[in-house]
Amino acid sequence: MTRRAAGKGSGAVFPVLVAALLGAVALSTSTGPVAIPFRKMAEALLHGGDDTPSRVLLSLRLPRALLGALVGGALASSGVAFQALLRNPLADPYILGVSGGAAVGALTVALFLSADASPALPLFAFLGAAMSALSVFLLARRKSGVSPERLILMGVVVGAFLNAVIMLMVTLSPPGKIPGALYWLMGDLGLGTPRRVAVLFPYVASGFAVLFLLSRGLDLLLLGDQAAFQTGLSVERVKTATYLTASLLAGSVVAVSGLIGFVGLIVPHGARVLVGSGHRRLLPAAFLLGGAFLVLSDTIARTASPAGELPVGAVTALAGAPFFLYLLRRNGGRS
Amino acid sequence: MTVPLLSARGLSFRYGEREVLRDVDLDLSSGQVTILLGPNGSGKSTLIKILSGALPPGGGEVALLGRSPQEYDRREMARLLSVVGQDPPVDFPMTVDEYVALGRFPHQGLFGGTSSSDREEIEGALAMTGLAPLRDRALSAISAGERQRATVARAVAQGARVMLLDEPTAFLDIRHRVAFYEIVTRLAGTRGVAALVASHDLSLCAEYGERIVLLSGGAVASQGRPEEVLTPENVREAYRVEVACDRNPATGAVRVTPLRGSPPKKG
Repeated sequence: MTRRAAGKGSGAVFPVLVAALLGAVALSTSTGPVAIPFRKMAEALLHGGDDTPSRVLLSLRLPRALLGALVGGALASSGVAFQALLRNPLADPYILGVSGGAAVGALTVALFLSADASPALPLFAFLGAAMSALSVFLLARRKSGVSPERLILMGVVVGAFLNAVIMLMVTLSPPGKIPGALYWLMGDLGLGTPRRVAVLFPYVASGFAVLFLLSRGLDLLLLGDQAAFQTGLSVERVKTATYLTASLLAGSVVAVSGLIGFVGLIVPHGARVLVGSGHRRLLPAAFLLGGAFLVLSDTIARTASPAGELPVGAVTALAGAPFFLYLLRRNGGRS
Repeated sequence: MTVPLLSARGLSFRYGEREVLRDVDLDLSSGQVTILLGPNGSGKSTLIKILSGALPPGGGEVALLGRSPQEYDRREMARLLSVVGQDPPVDFPMTVDEYVALGRFPHQGLFGGTSSSDREEIEGALAMTGLAPLRDRALSAISAGERQRATVARAVAQGARVMLLDEPTAFLDIRHRVAFYEIVTRLAGTRGVAALVASHDLSLCAEYGERIVLLSGGAVASQGRPEEVLTPENVREAYRVEVACDRNPATGAVRVTPLRGSPPKKG
């Protein structure tokens, strides 16, 4: 089978991916300390309900699963965009300072406001992420435009600076103030409430829509800036829009779920194996795959250990790495 | 006398203090293959950047169908002029077909789809470059020579009447070089493309180029027909190397042979 057959010929990929995401959400909502059979789920979804299973389902599990789908999808599509923008398969949504900025924002809340001030925490994390992403961009910008090399360089510089700030904050803070924020930084979907899902949704939907509209431009960016320019692309405009949108996606997601690694790095590669590198297919495929993957990982994180929840970021790496290695190796001969 | 598709008058350019181009005149006409020669650092790539609109000229002017490249919308420009440069490798899985199809962007834009005429142009470009049998192969799984042809095919699919090709045969063996020049000659012959090829390959150029422009130190040292430009004096002046120039008995084209044991003279 050639890649073309895998990429363009098989229209069945998208129905399968949609089914995978829906299946992951259904599995996740039915699994937990209180097992909820699928029939009960359907009932609760259709008619509501006041008994315990219905309330667990509607106010806890379903929002959490939907949050996982949004976060996973957003991280994966943001990763796709950063990889095209930097023309680097090793790029992920956190490569250009979003993570460091979010961490400084979160720690600021923990230190100066209150360890339990969770309503302020996402806001500050988002502001921190947005500020560091913006400073990387402005520092990297020159009269001739923004080159991938300079973006990565400035990302490293700003990241190192923020890391130093984080170390100082952690070292100088009074004991007991920090652990909550640190755990939060490890990535956690436990904040999934209906309200939070509703707040995140417009960010993810609009961010994804903008990236999708830029698909053709992202295709051309893979050729290199000069070639993209000569093929008729307004390179700097597309790069600026891509950068800001992908950072917004990553930042808004970090704000509600902390730093969940691995999804934004490796799901794009898995999606490329399925549909190829054309972004009109790649972005939706990565979104669906990333969503399904994170919802499943979170189900494992919630239920695997009797001692309590595991950080979902650890599960994404533990479960995902071997699976995607397999996918990549299987197609490695042709890619 | 036909009106040139692309013409440059009195072009000059500086990178900071360093003068890279000085008073360069150039005309590219439909159906004609012009070869741009000159030693490394003589300004060939800068000239191509300016002609393609990637750099504004420091002085002088460029006219593509009567208008300056800077006046064109990016896509409008790309429909008229394509460039084959030395692009970085594509680090993502992509088939030859998908790669060549990207050349249709100026006809589609960000939001357009692939029409049947797009498809036709892509097929034409694949056929012309002999890549049709490789269309489903991954770009990373074909040879360097084939990849070079894919880059040319992408530019062909772009459907422009002016093509600028920057040292496209640098890493190719003789078979692929010949194949490359055959393709360019055919484009000029069948589609009326005006082609400018920057090259280091003196003898092959003489075989395929109708006109040669020899750059030296940022200025045009000589231009004209191969036998006018490729003389021992001109080559020595530009490249600081002693050569013999005679006619190839098989083809009648100028043949340039470096002479052994003739140390470069200080110029």
